Amino acid sequence: MLIQILNGIVYGGLLYLLAVGLVLIFGLREVVNFAHGALFMVGAYLGFSIAAMGYWWGGLLVSVVAMAIVGCLLDAMVFSTLRKQDHIVTVLVTFGILLILETVVTKVWGKAYLTYPVPPLLAGTINIGGSPFPVYRLFVIAVSVAVAVSLSVWLRYTRTGLYIRAASTDARVTSMQGINVDRLSLIVVGLGTALAGLSGVVAGPLLSLSPTMGNYILIDSFIVVVIGGLGSFAGAFVAALLIGQIHNFGAVYLPWAATVLPFMLMVGILIWRPTGFAGSRT
Amino acid sequence: MTDNVIEGIKLSRRYGGFAALDNVDIAVKQGEIRGLIGPNGAGKSTLIDVLSGRAVTRGGKVLLKGDDISALTPQERRRRGMARSFQRTNIFPDLTVEQQLRVASWAVPGADIAEVMDELRLTEMADVPAAEISYGDQRRLDLALALVGRPTVLLLDEPAAGLTMEESLALARILRDLANRWKVTVLLVEHDMQVVFSICDRITVLHLGRTLSEGTCAEIRVDPTVIAAYLGTEA
Amino acid sequence: MTSLTASGLPASRRKPAGYAALIAVAVLALAVGAALPWLVPTKIAMSLLAQAMFDALLATSVGFLILQNGRTSFGQAAFFGLGGYAMGVLIARQWVAPEAAVLIALILPTAVAFLLGLVISRITGVAHAMLTLAVGQAFYEVVFRWRELAKGDDGMSFDLPAQMFGFSARKLQDPAVMLVLAWTVLVLVLLGLALFARSRIGQVAAAIRDNEERARFLGYSTVMPRALVYAIAAFIAAIAGILQASYNGYIAPQMFHWSTSGFALIMAIIGGAKFIIGPAIGAVVLFYIKDYAGQFAEYWPAIVGVILVIVTLTMPRGVVGLALMLWRRGTRR
Ligand SMILES: Nc1ncnc2c1ncn2[C@@H]1O[C@H](COP(=O)(O)OP(=O)(O)O)[C@@H](O)[C@H]1O
Ligand SMILES: [Mg+2]
Repeated sequence: MLIQILNGIVYGGLLYLLAVGLVLIFGLREVVNFAHGALFMVGAYLGFSIAAMGYWWGGLLVSVVAMAIVGCLLDAMVFSTLRKQDHIVTVLVTFGILLILETVVTKVWGKAYLTYPVPPLLAGTINIGGSPFPVYRLFVIAVSVAVAVSLSVWLRYTRTGLYIRAASTDARVTSMQGINVDRLSLIVVGLGTALAGLSGVVAGPLLSLSPTMGNYILIDSFIVVVIGGLGSFAGAFVAALLIGQIHNFGAVYLPWAATVLPFMLMVGILIWRPTGFAGSRT
Repeated sequence: MTDNVIEGIKLSRRYGGFAALDNVDIAVKQGEIRGLIGPNGAGKSTLIDVLSGRAVTRGGKVLLKGDDISALTPQERRRRGMARSFQRTNIFPDLTVEQQLRVASWAVPGADIAEVMDELRLTEMADVPAAEISYGDQRRLDLALALVGRPTVLLLDEPAAGLTMEESLALARILRDLANRWKVTVLLVEHDMQVVFSICDRITVLHLGRTLSEGTCAEIRVDPTVIAAYLGTEA
Repeated sequence: MTSLTASGLPASRRKPAGYAALIAVAVLALAVGAALPWLVPTKIAMSLLAQAMFDALLATSVGFLILQNGRTSFGQAAFFGLGGYAMGVLIARQWVAPEAAVLIALILPTAVAFLLGLVISRITGVAHAMLTLAVGQAFYEVVFRWRELAKGDDGMSFDLPAQMFGFSARKLQDPAVMLVLAWTVLVLVLLGLALFARSRIGQVAAAIRDNEERARFLGYSTVMPRALVYAIAAFIAAIAGILQASYNGYIAPQMFHWSTSGFALIMAIIGGAKFIIGPAIGAVVLFYIKDYAGQFAEYWPAIVGVILVIVTLTMPRGVVGLALMLWRRGTRR
């Protein structure tokens, strides 16, 4: 039972890392980034290649930095030029980027499933409530918690964080007050994609690597973002944990319905509150 | 049986902790043109919203020809003969002028759009998408959408907002004329005192969500509380 | 803000072509369709064009939802797949007569979309795209895992019955026959949609798309017309699914997949979602670019991605919008 809950938290943590990136990007750019799952996937592959050379932690670092750079490029070259377009057009463009990234990765690494190693430091299991539990999974939980805590501290207590929260609430008003939204969103989109890269590497040893590995988890994190209320950080956190638990308990107790449960929940919540738990925007 | 065509009883509406409308009573007789004035934020638009079903009242009720319509949706109210216009132009930008008036006419049995286009001088732009006509034309289109099918009650929220003095007075003349000929009861929110005094039979003054005063034009013009609260600042 | 759904209808919409002209064009298109087996050189080319017609129908479905409801669906494959699966499963199991299978395969997705439309029509913009995406993926997950239904992930082959509606149904797998049929269906669907757009309910739906609040204050309830548009769009997607399933004699979860929905949406946008015929044109254009790009097939998704990015950035009203603009410029001189 405890193990089940922990497994739910592991998946919820991964979802959070992706969802919070989506929320960050949506907040500033009002873009729902369909390429986010592909960035997650690219991050995983990058990390994998370096980990395969024996530098697991180096892979983590390179992947995060590389994805941050990709994010900044994405913001400067795509999102900022599409600012005046209908949101759906932007969504479609990110969908196009997703297609491009999947093709590139297929070309470079092939279609076959690859196995991401666990770093030696985190190999093995420990005993929790009488059952063995992989240390690596605890590490995943720790990473998500660390990100959640530092992000909320950053957003709450720094000037940049304050600006980001303000801009997420209303980018137009904020830019009228002389805050440079373009620079802010460079930071935010870079951070969001860096988190996608981070979660890709961290998730690597738990999932197998394939060019489409990002799709399933992306849709789950969409569900998280919508349920949590578009643009809400706290909402995303709660919703990620919720979906993580549903995902796991569903798989154990309602296997025939497990994969559909999150969708049902999302449809139900949107019907009940079209803006999600904590959201006020559509 | 009452001869009030539209009646609001103890209408209240809060936004957050703020009472935008606080226990307001209003009753307009058949054929009357009632002016609704008050400073910005007085609750005029909110009153129109509550009467037309855009917003719900907390307690209180709305009567149309004596029937309680408080629970009806806007579309049901329109089918019972209540029409409204909007302070912020609220038209169909992609549809042509004629198209949208025709759509409006289908909801009312026996409605004639030619007369409305003619009276409001929209005929010559019948085939132009509403997004492409001038602002003044858009305001008249907004009014025309409400006038299609000769409603029994017309709730007008600053139909002349943003128009020049001449345009406003011309619009007021059309309104007075149509209300008389088509026997429409009108509740008119209007900023411009000259317009209000020129066409209204009676006037209700709102202030901070409450009724400050009500009476004929002559009475309102000399009412000391009104002058203090509102007219005084204009003069 | 430029928008996919609002403002800027082309001037030609101001005075819509008369019914006579519309019917004439349709009749002409049907005649061309009947002659296609002689116009198209090879069986392979016919087969390709027939498949392009399936894409065109699905893209038309997505585009119609944008045009008439102002809603972007990322899950239209749900109804495409539902049509195909209802057809395939019912025929493979022989639970009902083949004719009944076709009817059920048409009605079931339409009814599901109508009911869904009643509840999701008030959700707008990006949230709508994500919600429809989730709905489509939910269906995908079900058929993917439910192996007893149609072999799950592997997909299922089935044989068409000997006779359907008095015709030899196996002929449906002959490229020439399917091409004529699919072309005819597409022309009729486009004609039907053009007539719908001119009808009362179509114009009311357009008004609701344009300004839902004002439509309510004019006396219209806005839920029903919207749900009707969802139903019609799903009906078209279902036709596409039925045709494709019949032609291939095969159904697979990919029919429900979000990439199927996404590609349909891309075709609609590339062709021009503001025109009834735009999505179909976009589908055919993309299909032939794909064929032409044959040797680069493995890069195909990336090519689509690049085309999409270029088109959305340079021709916001799609290929048809661009063609119309060029044509106007040409005739003005
Ligand atoms: N949707 C709303 N949310 C919050 N406050 C509102 C809303 N609508 C109106 N108000 C407030 O209610 C008060 C009355 O507004 P309104 O009826 O529009 O005034 P008027 O039309 O007389 O200028 C104003 O103070 C306004 O800020
Ligand atoms: Mg007002």
